[in-house]
Amino acid sequence: MNEIKKTYKNYVGGKYVRSESGKTFRIDLKNDFYEVPLTSRKDIRDAVVAAKKGYSNWQKLSPYNKTQVLYRLSEMLEGNFETYQQLLQDAGLTKAKASEDIHKAVDTIIWYAGMADKWEQMTGNLNPVAGDFFNISHQESLGVVFTLNSNNQSLNSLLLNMLPALTVGCAVISFNEENSVIALKLAEDINNSDLPGGALNIMSGKFELLIEDVSNHVEITAMAIYKEINNHDKKIIKENASKSLKRIFINPPTMGLEALFPFIETKTVWHPKGR
Amino acid sequence: MNKWEYAESIESSSIVNIDKKYGIFIDGNFQSANSKKFIKTISPSTEEVLSSVTLGNEIDINSAVESAKEGLKIWSKISGTERAKYLFKLARLIQERSREFAVLETLDGGKPIKESRDFDLPQVAANFFYFAGWADKLDLSWNAKGLKPYGIIGQIIPWNFPLLMLSWKVAPALATGNVVILKPAESTPLTAILFAELCQEVGLPPGVFNLVTGDGTTGAALVKHPDISKIAFTGSTGVGKYIQKETADRDIGLTLELGGKAANIVFNDAAIDQAVEGVVNGIFFNQGHVCCAGSRLVLQEDIHDEFVTKLEKRMQSLRVGNPLDKNTDIGAINSKEQLDKITNLVNEGVKEGGSIFQTDCELPQNGFWFKPTLFTNAQPSYRISREEIFGPVLTTLTFRTPEEAIEISNNTEYGLSAGIWTEKGSKILWAADRLQAGVIWANTFNKFDPSSPFGGYKESGFGREGGRHGLLSYLKVQS
Repeated sequence: MNEIKKTYKNYVGGKYVRSESGKTFRIDLKNDFYEVPLTSRKDIRDAVVAAKKGYSNWQKLSPYNKTQVLYRLSEMLEGNFETYQQLLQDAGLTKAKASEDIHKAVDTIIWYAGMADKWEQMTGNLNPVAGDFFNISHQESLGVVFTLNSNNQSLNSLLLNMLPALTVGCAVISFNEENSVIALKLAEDINNSDLPGGALNIMSGKFELLIEDVSNHVEITAMAIYKEINNHDKKIIKENASKSLKRIFINPPTMGLEALFPFIETKTVWHPKGR
Repeated sequence: MNKWEYAESIESSSIVNIDKKYGIFIDGNFQSANSKKFIKTISPSTEEVLSSVTLGNEIDINSAVESAKEGLKIWSKISGTERAKYLFKLARLIQERSREFAVLETLDGGKPIKESRDFDLPQVAANFFYFAGWADKLDLSWNAKGLKPYGIIGQIIPWNFPLLMLSWKVAPALATGNVVILKPAESTPLTAILFAELCQEVGLPPGVFNLVTGDGTTGAALVKHPDISKIAFTGSTGVGKYIQKETADRDIGLTLELGGKAANIVFNDAAIDQAVEGVVNGIFFNQGHVCCAGSRLVLQEDIHDEFVTKLEKRMQSLRVGNPLDKNTDIGAINSKEQLDKITNLVNEGVKEGGSIFQTDCELPQNGFWFKPTLFTNAQPSYRISREEIFGPVLTTLTFRTPEEAIEISNNTEYGLSAGIWTEKGSKILWAADRLQAGVIWANTFNKFDPSSPFGGYKESGFGREGGRHGLLSYLKVQS
């Protein structure tokens, strides 16, 4: 029988899109190869527009609602277990390693889903100021975050790179290179998980072609780099970031409360007490 | 307008002893620097030369780093409780000598003695007390793994609250087990020098606190030194960006507390008289040399006329003059350079079409002074409405709906602070959620406390100082 092969597209603003450039690049897996979008500079700008919209819709959902949306993502993943297993095996993992990775990925989502309505309690507090004031510090999400994901052929790694920023309410542009096939496959489950369009955008390409555009874009509030990059690239990123004081995080933690620190900032509100 | 008899009440400056020249403080001692250049530090209220301080160069910074390395060896072996004791002792000494510090601060910086005595110094002592107590509880502060001190911290502080900014920087850095090289502002180095003497007095181990005075070149040498693992800077957004750029090729921690252009929103259901007081305090506190100053009055349209009339009347009662006079509300502008900047921006505001009101007051002959100034109908596009003036100048914009107030307030690249005046609780919480600013004062303004985190959103910088959150500026997460 003549098998029909899927074309993987970028996932931006809740829609599957090709690169406007029409360009793709080839990823060779063990048994198969895929042509995935070679994201262009214009695609990045479009993604930022989508992410800004996604940010306002995602951030305003109640924490309870966010938890349920993320939990739904784990349900979707579990439902497509075999497809992921096949893809990961094609990417070079043994069958056992592939299942282990998917189980871990589900656990990662469960951990973050349950975090969405708790992190504010763990990071905020009343401040005991000297005076008759009510004074409270709580945390807010930064905005649009660009993540450069690790090249690990792993569903779990991908989620560990996306979820810290997403969980606190940021919109994420999740950028992938060698793991693009798995990432773009994941986009389908994200699409089915009730996440507002634009909250999590998944793109494939070569970061070196976009480094200037991403690091110069003033509406990307923060960049988190989860893969090894050379010093020259680090320097370019941070120099460009300084034009708008963009927050840059190189290899931040991926689990624990500390994984969330990069993507939140403290707002402190004062009010006098009196009669 | 000064119709009533006025009796001045001058704080004596005989309490302070100022040397003619100062070296740098490294290895626990004052030493003559490699640099043979000096900067004259003057009193901005009289232009009298107070002293000459070293203009530290690269070699002086190198020596300070060597001293800090030795200091770190000792400091990292001392228990948290022992570190706490040093900080508690410093806090006490500051309290004991607070009048001396206050007079020196006022002489060197030009701020009213009323503020240095009743605001700066009590806050300085409180900062050391607060962070002292954290030194042996760091493991309880955050539920996060692998929090470790950075090592050697370079700290660069501004001239608006010289000793207070020192305390915001030095107390948490030392409490968390770091050692410090401090570069105070060029125009206000004297209280930092006196602080160094206190460090000797409490027997702080040599090299734990190091002080190199100087100008921007000294700061740049500190920023560029490869053995500094973290820079904490308070100052302008321009210099903050320079520091982020300059350190781009290093894995280095950064805390940047930068400029602001805070909106102070007054809704028509506010307690108007209290709001007038709050707005005056918001912009004229410390001559408006405050990064979080409420420099944009955002006023609901239907109360504009009533509010402005009351505001102008209240402004007229502000007493401008000798900062050592205990009755003075507004002291001297910190430097000639800053006075020129304020004057230029205000002149431009007039040219652009803003209606200007300045209080009718006599300014002293010598020194640097600026009359309390209010612009009404300052369009959002005017430079005075967009740029940080850092002086006693308030601009006014009006709005009709709460949504519009938020939009106007957030329409700036800054995001340090904001004010909300309304008697309606739900409106406060609604507005506080929407304002993009790190500190929000509702029915109050310019309140500070060591336990309360301070720091900005957007181009007002990143990182927090103060409170439990401030500890994270000096502890790095090791993944």
